[in-house]
Amino acid sequence: MRIEQHPILDFKRGNKIHFTFDGKEVFGYEGETISAALHASDIVKLSESFRTHRPRGLFCAIGHCSSCLMTVDGIPNVRICVTNVKDGMIVESQKPRGGIV
Amino acid sequence: MMKEENIVICRCEDFTLKELRELLEQGFNTVEEIKRVARLGMGPCQGKTCGPLIKREIAKYTKQKIEDLDREASRPPYGGIMFGQVVGDDIEK
Amino acid sequence: MIKTDLLVVGAGPAGMAASISAAKNGINVILLEENERVGGQLIKQTHRFFGSQKEHAGIRGIHIAEDLKKEIESYKNIELMLSATLMGIYEDGIFTVLKDDKMIKIKPEKTIMATGAFEKYLLFENNDLPGIYGAGAVQTLMNINGVLPAKKVLMIGSGNIGLIVSYQLMQAGVEIAGVIEASNKIGGYMVHAAKLKRLGVPIYTSHTIEKAIGNERVEGALLHKLDSNWNKIEGSEFEIDCDCICLAVGLSPLTDILFQSGCAVKYLPELGGYVPYRDEHLETSIKGLYVAGDVSGIEEATGAMVEGEIAGLHVAGTLKQDDKIFERIKEMKEELRSLRAGPVGHKIREGLSKLYDEIYVEEDEFPEVYDIEFFRKTGTPSEENLKAVMPDEERLNKGPVAVTECFQRIPCDPCVYSCPYNAIKPFEDMNELPEVIFEKCIGCGICVGKCPGLAIFVLNKNYSETTSTVTLPYEFLPKPAKESIVDVLDRSGAKICEGKIIRILDGKAQDKTSIVTVEVPKEFYNQARNIKVVL
Repeated sequence: MRIEQHPILDFKRGNKIHFTFDGKEVFGYEGETISAALHASDIVKLSESFRTHRPRGLFCAIGHCSSCLMTVDGIPNVRICVTNVKDGMIVESQKPRGGIV
Repeated sequence: MMKEENIVICRCEDFTLKELRELLEQGFNTVEEIKRVARLGMGPCQGKTCGPLIKREIAKYTKQKIEDLDREASRPPYGGIMFGQVVGDDIEK
Repeated sequence: MIKTDLLVVGAGPAGMAASISAAKNGINVILLEENERVGGQLIKQTHRFFGSQKEHAGIRGIHIAEDLKKEIESYKNIELMLSATLMGIYEDGIFTVLKDDKMIKIKPEKTIMATGAFEKYLLFENNDLPGIYGAGAVQTLMNINGVLPAKKVLMIGSGNIGLIVSYQLMQAGVEIAGVIEASNKIGGYMVHAAKLKRLGVPIYTSHTIEKAIGNERVEGALLHKLDSNWNKIEGSEFEIDCDCICLAVGLSPLTDILFQSGCAVKYLPELGGYVPYRDEHLETSIKGLYVAGDVSGIEEATGAMVEGEIAGLHVAGTLKQDDKIFERIKEMKEELRSLRAGPVGHKIREGLSKLYDEIYVEEDEFPEVYDIEFFRKTGTPSEENLKAVMPDEERLNKGPVAVTECFQRIPCDPCVYSCPYNAIKPFEDMNELPEVIFEKCIGCGICVGKCPGLAIFVLNKNYSETTSTVTLPYEFLPKPAKESIVDVLDRSGAKICEGKIIRILDGKAQDKTSIVTVEVPKEFYNQARNIKVVL
C-alpha cells in the first residue's frame, strides 16, 4: 500500500509504469526502487534461501545485506532495493546463487 | 530455550546457529577457519550481517574477548564486480 | 588516472560537511557516493534535530540534507560522483572506483572516509522471515518511497533509532504493537519516549523477542521477560500480534573498505564495533587518511557533521597552511566536546578514552539535575519532575504560561532562541536544561513548535471558570478542525476527557508542527498532553 497523505512529507511520484515479477504484472512509479514497488503491491516474499528453502524478504533495503537479489532483464544478482523500476522491466526471483550466464 | 536450528546466523549462506555451534565443537575456532569450511562471511554481504554475531559466538565458546580475536582479512575488490567492468577499456588513461 | 586534492568517500552528513568545509577553503574535492543521490541516512529523518542552534538544531533532517545538497552544488571545486562505488584502497595511494560499469583510478593527496554504518542483526527463532526489517529499511520504505512498511510493527530496541522510527511509523499511519527493550531502562532520549507514551504506545522494558511467528511472512511474535541477569523468566512468554518486526538494535561502523588501507583499528563495543585509531583531527594511522561520521564510531548525525567539518578543515589547513583554518578547527572541536559532555555522551567518551589511552573521566561535566529513574523505566516523568517545572499557583492563575517538560540533559538549545520575549533563560552550554522566566512569559506558544523534543506546553489554567486550555504540538493527520471535539489523552496515552479545539497555528513558520490549543475541564489541565482526532 502506498501512503497518499503524510503530515510532514509530500510524495512526488513520477509516471506510472508497468513491469513484471515472475510473469505477474505489477505497477510502479518512475523513480521508485523495484523493492518499493513490489512491497507496495504487498509482495514481501522475494526468494527462498538456497539450502533450506526458507522464505526470505528484504532486510536492510539500502544495498548492504544482499537479501533482495533478483534477476532483472536477464542480469542475475541485482540488488532490487537500490535499482529503480523501468517500464517493461522483467524481474524474476532467483535462488540466491543466481545463474552463471 | 530457543530452538537453535530455527535461528539463522548467516542469511547469505543459509546457516543456522545450531550448525555454527556444531562447527565450533568440531574445532573450527577462528573466523578464517569458519569462513573456509562453511563460507560464512563470504556471501554477497561479505559478513556484514553475520560477522559480529559469529565473533560473539567464537568469543563465548573459546572464552576470549571479542577484541582479542583475529579479524578477517580484507582485500579488494569491495563488493561484487563483473569481469567486463574490470577489463572494460583497453587503453589505460 | 584522476588526481585531486581530496577524495571524500560517502556523501552522507559527514561526507557532505567535510566536502563543503574543504571546498570553502579552496581545496579541489571529489565526493564519491555509491547511491544515486546524496544525503545518506539524513534524507529519511523527518524529525527536528538536537544539538546547537548554530549547527542546524531545530531543523528537520530532510531540510538539513536539502541545504547541504544545495551548498555542495554551489561549489565548482566539488566534483560529485554519484552511483560510484569505492572498490579498493591500494598501498601506492590509488583508489579504484566502479563508475558507469568501468573501473577508474583516483590518486588523491588526502582522503576522508565517511562510509557510515550498517545495522546489527539479532538472533531469535525464525529471524529471517519476510517482514523482519532493519530500521533503515522501514524508514526507506515509508519516508523515501511513500510505501507503508506494514500495518502493525513490533519495534525491537528502545534507543533513539527505535523510538524515532516508531514515532515516524505512527505519522505514516502504522500501528506500533510495542517497543521492546532488553534492559530495564529505555535507551534513547526521554523526550522521544514521552512522545510515544502519550500516543499510547506500550514500551516493554526487560523484555526480549524469542521467536517470530508466521509461515511465509511475519504474523506475530513471541516475547518473554528477562530477570536482572538477562535470563529468561520461565513462564513469562506471551504472543503479540504484528505483521512486521523492526530491528533497531544498534549500528556498527562500515569499516570493511577502510580495513583495506591497513590502518590500525580497535574493537570498541561502546562505539559499535571495530573503529580506526585516529588523532584529534580524525587522521588515522595512515598519513593523509581521515575518517568522519559513524565510520569513526556510532554517534548522532549532528556529531557526524561536526566531525566531517573538522576533517575537511584539517585537510585544507594542512594543504593551504592557513592559520585562520586552524582557529576554526579549535571552535569545532569545542562544539564536539560540548555535544559529548553530558550524560548521553557517556558511552562515547568511554570508548574514545580507550582509543586514546586517556584517563576515562567517569563524571559527566553536566550531571543530571533531576532524578529521572522513573522516567527511564516508564517513559513518563515522575510527579516530582513535573512539580519542579511548574510555576506557582499565583502565576498559573494569572494567564497562559509555558511549561518545559524537559528533564534529561541532552545537547540541545533551540528553545532558548525561539522565544520572542526572551523568556527562556539563556544557556552557557547546550547541555543545560531550559528554565522559563515566568514573569516574562506571555504564553504565546511559539516555543511549543520549536522544541525538537516536542516537550513544551502552554497552560492557561483560568481560561474560563470551569475550563483550562492546553497548547500542545501535533504532527499527525488528520489535523483537527477549529471548534471540533477531540479525545484528550494523558502522558500515558489514556483518554481522560474530551476537549474542544480553540486554536490551531499551522503556518509556514510552524513547518508542519501544528500548535494546537484545546479546551479541557479544569481538573485535567496538568494531565492533558495529547489529542486524538475522532472522525
